[in-house]
Amino acid sequence: MSDAADVQRVLNGDVDAFSRLVDRYYERCARFAVRMLGNRDDAEDALQATFLRAYRSLGKYQERDKFSAWLYRILVNQCRSIAARRNQRDRVFVREEALLLNAPDRRPTWTGEDEELVQRVLAELDPLLREAFLLKYVEELSYEEMSTLTGVGVSALKMRVKRACDRLRTRWERIKDD
Amino acid sequence: MTEDDVKTLDPYVQWIVAEARRPVAVDDAARRRLLEALRAEPQPTRRRFDWLLEPRRFALPPLATAALAAGLMGIGVIGGLVINRDGPKAGRPRAEVAETPRLPGSIVPRAVKFVLIAPQAARVAVVGDFNGWDVSANPMTTQGKDGTWTIFVPLHPGLHTYSFVVDGTHFMPDPAAPLAPDDGYGHQSSVVLVGGSSL
Amino acid sequence: MSMTRRMMAVLVLSAGAATAAWAQDVSPAARELDPLGRLSEGSRYQIELILDSARVAGLPTAPLESKALEGISKRVDGRRIVSAVRMVFRSLRDARSVLGAPATPDELNAAASALRVGVTRAELAHLTQIRRDRSVTMPLVVLSDLITRGVPRDTASQTILQLWQRGAADDDFSGLWRGVERDIVSGTDPGVALLNRAREVPPRGPSSQPEGSRPEGSTENRNS
Repeated sequence: MSDAADVQRVLNGDVDAFSRLVDRYYERCARFAVRMLGNRDDAEDALQATFLRAYRSLGKYQERDKFSAWLYRILVNQCRSIAARRNQRDRVFVREEALLLNAPDRRPTWTGEDEELVQRVLAELDPLLREAFLLKYVEELSYEEMSTLTGVGVSALKMRVKRACDRLRTRWERIKDD
Repeated sequence: MTEDDVKTLDPYVQWIVAEARRPVAVDDAARRRLLEALRAEPQPTRRRFDWLLEPRRFALPPLATAALAAGLMGIGVIGGLVINRDGPKAGRPRAEVAETPRLPGSIVPRAVKFVLIAPQAARVAVVGDFNGWDVSANPMTTQGKDGTWTIFVPLHPGLHTYSFVVDGTHFMPDPAAPLAPDDGYGHQSSVVLVGGSSL
Repeated sequence: MSMTRRMMAVLVLSAGAATAAWAQDVSPAARELDPLGRLSEGSRYQIELILDSARVAGLPTAPLESKALEGISKRVDGRRIVSAVRMVFRSLRDARSVLGAPATPDELNAAASALRVGVTRAELAHLTQIRRDRSVTMPLVVLSDLITRGVPRDTASQTILQLWQRGAADDDFSGLWRGVERDIVSGTDPGVALLNRAREVPPRGPSSQPEGSRPEGSTENRNS
């Protein structure tokens, strides 16, 4: 059952078809929202707003667009709105000791604390760098897809991704030398 | 393809990527709330008047332009400096969950009339921060032979910097408006403050 | 004009506002697909750095993007665009440090312009510390204009400050500006024109005064 077919069903009156779309995309969208916004409450707000808006604007979805790209465009904009609404000036304080304890020795193992660490490190990035980094490496979009989604040019996006990686690496270099 | 990209990254950054790719715990209650909210929504349909809701730059459809010219001329003041203490009492945009965080009254654009008397000009346009300084975005029109060029542009309340462009290349400030400081490019621009609800 | 046509015009405006507001979620430059792409790679990179710095500092990026687009439209060399954008960034940052967090983007812009024409930080601080309940955008716009037209900086600053202190409203400033501009065009010395016209501005009580109280001004010391 393709996304476009489900969209058509909803528009024809089968509104339960939308819950299939939600099922298909909720977790992936949740991951982006949490990584982008850094906390679950804001992420849930973003998800709610995204799917509601998608539902309301379903009449505008064009079949030639990929549904996931269309949905992600809404999601990215909702995350931006919510981030703008809350005070972003509070810099997240990263406990240096936590970084050292969780230093990757090329065989990273999963612990619950790692997620918090990753969130904190991501939160240190400027939001637009973080967004580009997540879309590229976590959502695994191509630069062309990212460009269509964000409306920003490919070269600008490449620059943002590069800067994000540089910042992350620099952060690590400074920590591990202490 | 992407895996190769990731492998070229610094090991620490690769680790961040790997961790960030892990799924996040999803709150079922939140998801149920979403589904309930969806059930309460009216059924979506294909809209007929999509042009009304498409995000667009300030280009009004022809009928609306005529309506503006006919009915809202009293709002803009001729020349650059515009103060509107009591703008049109426009209806609020329909409230949606996902609206940007602004006071509704302060985002309703006002029609501002720009006027330049340039009898020798072949064409005149207005450019500014509201149209990305795009010379082709807001061409002005002249009615008679007296060389008066005019245009109505909807501007959001607040401060705007702008300039006239004569014959495509000659940038000049509005003689009837306050000057902006030197633009850094050897020209002078103008400023207009469009009234709105108190900031 | 008929009621329906008026309402339709208003509806179009508010729909335009709704979508324009939504479109503001995406940066102004992104409404068109990447107009900054007309810059060279190097200039573009420098400008993106400045934009990122502005975001991190909590400064509005719209004036910076606008300055870049202005330069592109005016076919200015990339390096000059970068310095112009950098100049705007610095003045916004300085304006923020004087005005503080509550300043609106318009006030920041107007303050940044004032700093760029030579208004001192002290003069700016003085202006913004009085009557914090009113937007200081209009007096700053007029102040910048007057200095640009040749009124000596300290004369302009002092006069605007005095009027502001006396409770002058936006209409007073715009009326003042029109009069001074007319006089300068007719050949009057800019400084003299300002002082003359400033005397015509009626003093009003400060907005925080209770109703019925006598406005200040009768014993005003008119020092030129």
